[in-house]
Amino acid sequence: MKSYFFIGAFFLLQTFAFGQATNGDQLLGVWEPSNGKARVKIEKIGEKYYGKIVWLKEPNDPNTGKPKVDKNNPDASLRTVPLKGYRMLKDFKVLGNNQWDSGTIYDPENGSTYKCIIKMTNSNTLDIRGYIGVEALGRTDVWKRLSTNK
Amino acid sequence: MRMRLFLFLIVLLTSFSIKGQTDTISDGEEDYSMYENLNFVDEGAKRFCTPKVFDISPAKLISVGFDHQGAFDIDYGAWGNTDKSAIGPQTGKFNGASGMRIGANIPVIAKTNIVLQLGFNYLRTAYSGNGVTSNNPLDQQLREEGLRSTGINTTLFKPLNEQNFFIFQSSADLSGDYNFNQLIPLKYTRISAALIFGKKVNDRKMIGFGISRTYRVGELNYIPVMLFNWTAPNRKWGVEMLAPARANIRKTISPRNILLFGYELEGNSYRILSQNFSNDQGADIKNIELRRSELRFRATWETSLHQFLWMSFQLGYRYGYGFQLDQFSNNKEFFRGFFGDQVYYQENNLNGTWYAQVSLNLVSP
Repeated sequence: MKSYFFIGAFFLLQTFAFGQATNGDQLLGVWEPSNGKARVKIEKIGEKYYGKIVWLKEPNDPNTGKPKVDKNNPDASLRTVPLKGYRMLKDFKVLGNNQWDSGTIYDPENGSTYKCIIKMTNSNTLDIRGYIGVEALGRTDVWKRLSTNK
Repeated sequence: MRMRLFLFLIVLLTSFSIKGQTDTISDGEEDYSMYENLNFVDEGAKRFCTPKVFDISPAKLISVGFDHQGAFDIDYGAWGNTDKSAIGPQTGKFNGASGMRIGANIPVIAKTNIVLQLGFNYLRTAYSGNGVTSNNPLDQQLREEGLRSTGINTTLFKPLNEQNFFIFQSSADLSGDYNFNQLIPLKYTRISAALIFGKKVNDRKMIGFGISRTYRVGELNYIPVMLFNWTAPNRKWGVEMLAPARANIRKTISPRNILLFGYELEGNSYRILSQNFSNDQGADIKNIELRRSELRFRATWETSLHQFLWMSFQLGYRYGYGFQLDQFSNNKEFFRGFFGDQVYYQENNLNGTWYAQVSLNLVSP
């Protein structure tokens, strides 16, 4: 009897874990922030989710004519890194209930990194909230999923 | 043993490498051209403009500051604005005026298609100096109680599409010579509001026009307003303007170090609750408000101390735009505007002086 209980519990946990993984991977894909200035591809590395810039509306720096780099980064060693390919979303973990937390979002415009929580309001829309300290002190941007034809 | 050590080092180095790459820079080659011609999965999805242009000075979520004005005189007109008054024109000399300034602007809704902020502000002005030259009731009251202004405000930014937006601002202020033992009744709340329609031309320029009901000139007025936020292509300079309330030329030293050169017009109508106001016959003077307005030309240095904690230093010249007393008949606010002929109860001149202000600010993402 005991063994049946453990087998049942094992399968229940497996199902739960699988459900979590499947739910978390809904985040994967290419997304566009509300201002339409960039496109971000969210990938999974290990158990965490990362988002890198894959397209820029204005790819070149108007002053230099060369591809934009992360010139506002407080870390001087990263100021020559191209923005295209830059991971601006980092370290997100599945929280459940269509939410991902424990991550950060980087704003290349001012070189600031904010705590961030992602909420999927429907399968093609994300509420990305960057905040300072507590969630109440923040700003939410709505990102839309782009079709990659894959 | 050597093999184990070698494998250990390989694993260690590999883990560092992966950590570094996942931190910021993506690994591997990728054909980014495949992301150029993509469409929204949701066909009805809309893009909206944001309320900021590149490099605009950061919005202050919470601000605690101190303001100090240097020595100045106030030239008082005749009490009751009549030649027969026992209290004729006088000059009050002050060593300075100073006070705390506290503000908060918290975004309660901050989404792509709507941004709503609620705010609070408190301004204190304590006047210092012995009133040896004046027995003017207003002069005495300024020295004894000074002025306070406490208010709440709201700002709504509503983008309509990628370019067009409107902004609605309103505030409710209680201003006067009250203190925490004698609070000002809510019926003396003064309401200001502004509505602006604008266009965000690109990420470096937004412009808008509207109308405002304002007390910035000290008394109730209805004036047109113009919004203009602009950043030069080299991103070293810019303009931040909500005229006539304020306008600044911005010099961006770095995203965390900003210089601003410009002016701000600030003012309100201060209810005088003092019981010491009387006319020549000794009868109480009631329903008096001080129409105070200051035009401040200044240079401001805003700098980040640590991440979102910023410090602001301001130095400038304070010009006294208005410092008149009005008496309300039937205790009702009225509109004089720039061309009205209603007579002031006392016409005063607040002389200019230097001022300095310092504040600690928590700024918005």
